[in-house]
Amino acid sequence: MTDQEAGRVDRVVMRDIRKRYGMVDALRGVTLRVGPGEVVGLVGDNAAGKSTLMKVLAGAVVPDSGEIVFDGRPVAFASPRDARELGIEMVYQDLALCDDIDVAGNLFLGREPRKAGGMMLDVRKMHADARRHLDALNIRIPLTDIPVGGLSGGQRQAVAIARAVTFGPKLLILDEPTAALAVAEVETVLELIKTVSAQGVSVILITHRLQDLFRVCDRLCVMYEGTLRADLDAQNTSLERLVSEIVAHDEGEKEGRRR
Amino acid sequence: MTVTSQRVVTTRSARANAHIGRHAQTIAIAVVLVVLLIFFAFSADRFATTGNLLNLLRQIAPTLVVATAMTFVISTSGIDLSVGSTVALSGSLLAIVLQHGWNPTLALVAILALGALIGFVNGWFSSYQNIPPFIVTLAMLSIMRGTALRATEGYSTPIDGDLWIVQIGQGRIAGVPVPAILAVVVALVGWLVLTRTPFGRYVIGLGSNGESLRRTGVNTRKVGLTVYVLTGLAAAVAGVLIATRLSSGSSNAGSGFELEVITAVVLGGTSLFGGRASMLGTILGALTLGVIANGLVLLHVSPFYVQIVQGGILLLAIFANSKVWAKFGAIRK
Repeated sequence: MTDQEAGRVDRVVMRDIRKRYGMVDALRGVTLRVGPGEVVGLVGDNAAGKSTLMKVLAGAVVPDSGEIVFDGRPVAFASPRDARELGIEMVYQDLALCDDIDVAGNLFLGREPRKAGGMMLDVRKMHADARRHLDALNIRIPLTDIPVGGLSGGQRQAVAIARAVTFGPKLLILDEPTAALAVAEVETVLELIKTVSAQGVSVILITHRLQDLFRVCDRLCVMYEGTLRADLDAQNTSLERLVSEIVAHDEGEKEGRRR
Repeated sequence: MTVTSQRVVTTRSARANAHIGRHAQTIAIAVVLVVLLIFFAFSADRFATTGNLLNLLRQIAPTLVVATAMTFVISTSGIDLSVGSTVALSGSLLAIVLQHGWNPTLALVAILALGALIGFVNGWFSSYQNIPPFIVTLAMLSIMRGTALRATEGYSTPIDGDLWIVQIGQGRIAGVPVPAILAVVVALVGWLVLTRTPFGRYVIGLGSNGESLRRTGVNTRKVGLTVYVLTGLAAAVAGVLIATRLSSGSSNAGSGFELEVITAVVLGGTSLFGGRASMLGTILGALTLGVIANGLVLLHVSPFYVQIVQGGILLLAIFANSKVWAKFGAIRK
């Protein structure tokens, strides 16, 4: 049941995933694979099914049919907790951080280092760990004791991604991490994606900023009306080609598998 | 890997701003308190005496105990309006069960358990059923006050002065009133819990961004319920303090008490929108209210003005909280 390719097991394979919401076919049989350490860009117009597909992968949505194979083993997620236990982390566009809590506190929210038999926070260890963690990811935030509400958008996004990485994920799903960021801040986030994938973490990147995709992605997967329309090699694909796939211009005979 | 130089670097001044922003109101209220202390010390003869200051501490003890718990509730962006009625009910029932010959220790434990139970009901409706706490606790305010009136038929019930329990309200240790000691201990424990424990961290997180906290796997409903149990328990303690100080349980005790408590908390810089809290501010806020009430009485100002001043302070504090101090630092709300 495993997909073998060049002798290594795919990190995740989603096969023929289908999901209906009443009359709406959100996913009409999508197959997607991601290798270890690979960065896959998931693009498509609004309502193409990107978010639904990723929610299925993160365990937030249960598909009607189809199978998910993770590290060679078939899996089924009843809740996001199941997905997280396997090492799938999703960073949502918003709702990521508590503005009033400092950087270190946000990084370790929900699993703070403790002392005195679990009664008290080990604040010193938390800041030291946060420092080490941010440095390892090349995130430039000199102070871990300022509330994240005081950080720039890029720094906040970096903290959100860093938090997901502290869970030691095997697959990281980023939903529009660069939307609403200034140019220099986008660089911060893209660098971070490269750093994370270099550490062997697979990344799925959902974005509308097509220029970002070519900077960090190995493969580009285009969704269209609930199907995977194209699976492209990022190095050999032009922006024009990508755009025409997204808007589904039927120039030539593309591998658009519309049913 | 090298780091690109384009990253936005957080500067020391950003930290300074953020910290001043967080503590601006606490500093401001400390200044106000000092000014008031000096003003009353010079204008009211008997204000700056040890006896009066200790008396003042005893007067604000119930407020401080409940304000400590209320700081947790307000930090989660909740509110508990039922504390005044819980004070009345717990004080009345304490007096009644003592009159029926209950063991004072048993009576005390039962009353505190009742307070926690009232808080549990508040918390269950607010946190587990997502009904706005404003409405839930407003309803409980009515229910508890009515229960207290029904239980006492509107009469005060005397408490026998020979029982040890009276010492909770009237006793002194090394000259310091027991209620004052109790209140300071409660406030210190509250400060420790809020700033140094995971629970305190989750309380702030719940008020700041509950959905984010929930996604990290924290049981946010349980945290949301627990803070109301704390205010219920604290209100029962306050009810016991007031009833034992007066040697009488009255169903009219604690009317307007919730306003005083909320004013103390807001005055201290805790945000009504949640996420921002200062236990030190709450202590200073409670002290400030106590100093104003005590000072005005010593100046022979009609006690009816105290209530007017208190309401005015609450309005002013909320205004300052959301309009003035928000401009300091970079906390975006």
